[in-house]
Amino acid sequence: MYTILICDDDRDIVSALDIYLTSEGYQTIKTYNGLEAIRAAETNEIHLILMDIMMPELDGIRATAKLREGSNVPIILLTAKSEDTDKILGLNIGADDYITKPFNPLEVIARVKSQLRRYTSLGGADKGPGLLTVGPISMDDGAKVVTVDGEAISLTPIEYNILKLLLSHPGQVFSSAQIYEQVWNDPAFGSENTVAVHIRHLREKIEINPAEPRYLKVVWGLGYKMERGSN
Amino acid sequence: MKKMQGSSWGKLLAVLLLLVTAFGAGHFALKSILNLPYVAAEDWQETSQFDRLLAERQEQLAQLCQLDMELMSGELSFVQQERKLRQYSQLMEGLRQENTWFRWQVLSSSSASILYTNLETQTLDQAVEAVRYATFTAGEHLVQNSGAEGEGSVFIELEEADGESGIYYAGIIPAAGEELLIQCGVPAQVDESVSDEFFALWKEYGENRANFQPNMMQTLACSLLCLGCFLYILWTAGHKEGEEGIVLTWQEHIFFDLYLAFLILAALGLCFLGLNFGDYLVYSIIYGENSGDLVPFMQEWILPALAALLVGTITLAARTFAVRLKGRALARSTLLCRVLMWLWRVLRDFFQSLPVTWRAVGLFAGYAVVGGYLLLTARYSALALGAWCLLNFAALVFLGWWTVSLSKLRQGTKAIAAGDLEYRVDTGRMPRDLKIQGEDLNNISLGLAGAVDEKMKSERFKAELITNVSHDLKTPLTSIINYVNLLKTTDQADPTAREYIEVLDRKSQRLKKLTEDLVEASKASTGVLSVNREKIGMAQLLDQAMGEWEERLRERQLTVITNLPEGETWVYADGRHLWRVIDNLLSNCAKYAMEGTRVYVDLTRGKGQVCLSVKNISREALNIPAERLMERFVRGEESRTTEGSGLGLSIARSLTELQGGQFDLAVDGDLFKASVTLPQAN
Repeated sequence: MYTILICDDDRDIVSALDIYLTSEGYQTIKTYNGLEAIRAAETNEIHLILMDIMMPELDGIRATAKLREGSNVPIILLTAKSEDTDKILGLNIGADDYITKPFNPLEVIARVKSQLRRYTSLGGADKGPGLLTVGPISMDDGAKVVTVDGEAISLTPIEYNILKLLLSHPGQVFSSAQIYEQVWNDPAFGSENTVAVHIRHLREKIEINPAEPRYLKVVWGLGYKMERGSN
Repeated sequence: MKKMQGSSWGKLLAVLLLLVTAFGAGHFALKSILNLPYVAAEDWQETSQFDRLLAERQEQLAQLCQLDMELMSGELSFVQQERKLRQYSQLMEGLRQENTWFRWQVLSSSSASILYTNLETQTLDQAVEAVRYATFTAGEHLVQNSGAEGEGSVFIELEEADGESGIYYAGIIPAAGEELLIQCGVPAQVDESVSDEFFALWKEYGENRANFQPNMMQTLACSLLCLGCFLYILWTAGHKEGEEGIVLTWQEHIFFDLYLAFLILAALGLCFLGLNFGDYLVYSIIYGENSGDLVPFMQEWILPALAALLVGTITLAARTFAVRLKGRALARSTLLCRVLMWLWRVLRDFFQSLPVTWRAVGLFAGYAVVGGYLLLTARYSALALGAWCLLNFAALVFLGWWTVSLSKLRQGTKAIAAGDLEYRVDTGRMPRDLKIQGEDLNNISLGLAGAVDEKMKSERFKAELITNVSHDLKTPLTSIINYVNLLKTTDQADPTAREYIEVLDRKSQRLKKLTEDLVEASKASTGVLSVNREKIGMAQLLDQAMGEWEERLRERQLTVITNLPEGETWVYADGRHLWRVIDNLLSNCAKYAMEGTRVYVDLTRGKGQVCLSVKNISREALNIPAERLMERFVRGEESRTTEGSGLGLSIARSLTELQGGQFDLAVDGDLFKASVTLPQAN
């Protein structure tokens, strides 16, 4: 039984989130500003915090910074600001993830689950040889198994090979032609547009929100890359 | 320093000191001048005063002789006799050795025998320093002074005739008309035992010689002090306590030339007075016509006062000149300058009020006349030839100046026409007409820049407003979406209720998309978005885009046909923004293209440009011009029932332009064509 702290100044949003999360079997604590959240976090055992940024008394960014002083509980920011700078600021201050408003409840639940799994079970996951890991994605090349947040996903052989290539060179950008040549072992002659389709499918399988990927990123006009994971 | 310059007490003191020292300088200078004759003479007996005194004495001798003759003639009445006798004895008394340092003897020039003398034992040679000679005719008053070089310097021993009187007679009465000779002189050493006029002169001589140097020194000191005051007055002139800069007084409001003329007249008057008084003084000193206390009074007061006044006048003139110079008001406070400036302005205004054409004609006519005249006279004079060359050179320089300015003006016009609103024409050294033109041009560009600035500001404000409003929209929208989702999970028995919930779900999703597009459109159109341009492969990008869209387009039964040139085509663009452009275009196809048709995606390059075009057949009739399609919230059909915000093309255009590209739309019947042109990267 995990306890999730919800913090937003809009009570309707808080109760909606409360309904979704309790129906998923989580226990919730509802707070309506940053100060309340900090107080609640001090007195209760909390496993995850959902925090709005724009709030009275103490905003989400400062509350996150305050909470980070003595805890490494996962924090997901809820933000109406869609500018990149706000997201970067939030992540730099110590948040683990962010969700932009208006959000889809299913995305919220997916992200909550992902964060909880990583916080509780993967904290000290052993990284054996032949284990490729980026963020929540980990590939056991020996067993040919790919897991995201500990959950196994099924991939086609081509998808598997593409993911293997990208996972083994995190941060490096591969063009469609390069991927085609490496995975198909054929010179690319205009047939590489199948790569884009495969990658889209791959993204749908490993990303919570494929339209806004966190790990398998599209570098428009240049190719694709696997984001270098933070852990 | 500033305080010293401004102090009015200091100024007053300086003026007073100036007048006093000028007075003192005049006073001491006059004294020195009066000392001069004494200083010039090497001995007191060589002064003109001495000569004058001697002449007086000689006259007395002549008178004595005359009285003697009259008394001896016996022709006088008793009363006359008594009177003459009194006169005679008075004269006699004055001429005695006890009463005067004057030593004399009167000789008959024919017999060279002494008639009268006051010498006792000594000869005249021994008694006096230098013997003076004079002649006169017996019975007359007139004495002819023959100075030291008299003839017949014969000295005759006389017996004492009358021991008591101290005057010795030979007892001979000179005949009337006889030529008589006076030999006389004064001893080199005189003292106060006999205080006659010679002693007084000797004393005066000594005093004057002694006083000369102190007087000169005092004159010099006073002059220096006076000069110092003068300089101080000039230095402080125009400054006033508690006020910055140069303050003009009432004197500076009088025209300078008039004021100066008045002061010069005053100074001339003072000089004239001074010369007159000086003349009088000198005259009275030389000829001894001492009229009471006037001479010392003049010497002590009037002449120095005149000198002080003169110095004061000069200071006044110099001060006002200095103030005007400091206040840069010399030209404008001079009547002559004012008149000349006025004339120049009138002429210039007249010339400038002429139309440019007439001015040009006038200038050319002037040039032709002067040039022609010089050329004609050049045959006779090299000077005229030189002047002609100079004139032509000046004309060339003038023309060059004009053309250079004109080309500068052209350059500026070109730059501003090309959109560089920051450009300013440097009108600093232009001919007047071009300068006016240039300034007008600058004003136009300034106005334009202001208008553009204003527009940018209002656009930015609008963008901010839209961003804020959509942020505020997002919060309630989040609740709507979430609760609609919750509603969907509840058990609804009524099928119409389920249908309504479906509508709510669809519309809330559309509202979400709309707010997102709105923010993006306003950000893109106002240029708040950051653009990171780098080398982008267009073929790669299209490939990725197809990967994203192919399935969705296929669902619409749309076939995409791509035509790409050989190899990769590189452009400079921001990948994310360019993706949004292509995303919007393909999404447009998915929304509005007729099912079962083909979508052509062509990439062409050439002339340093890369052109991407997307062509499709519209499902609805496009009865609006292409330009309107790019406006916000405009869609091909007016019913607005389909999905889409109507912002896609507007966003695509703004983003393309942000990256330095060009976005075009063309509508030909149902054929819809969008093209994006970007600069090619090597």
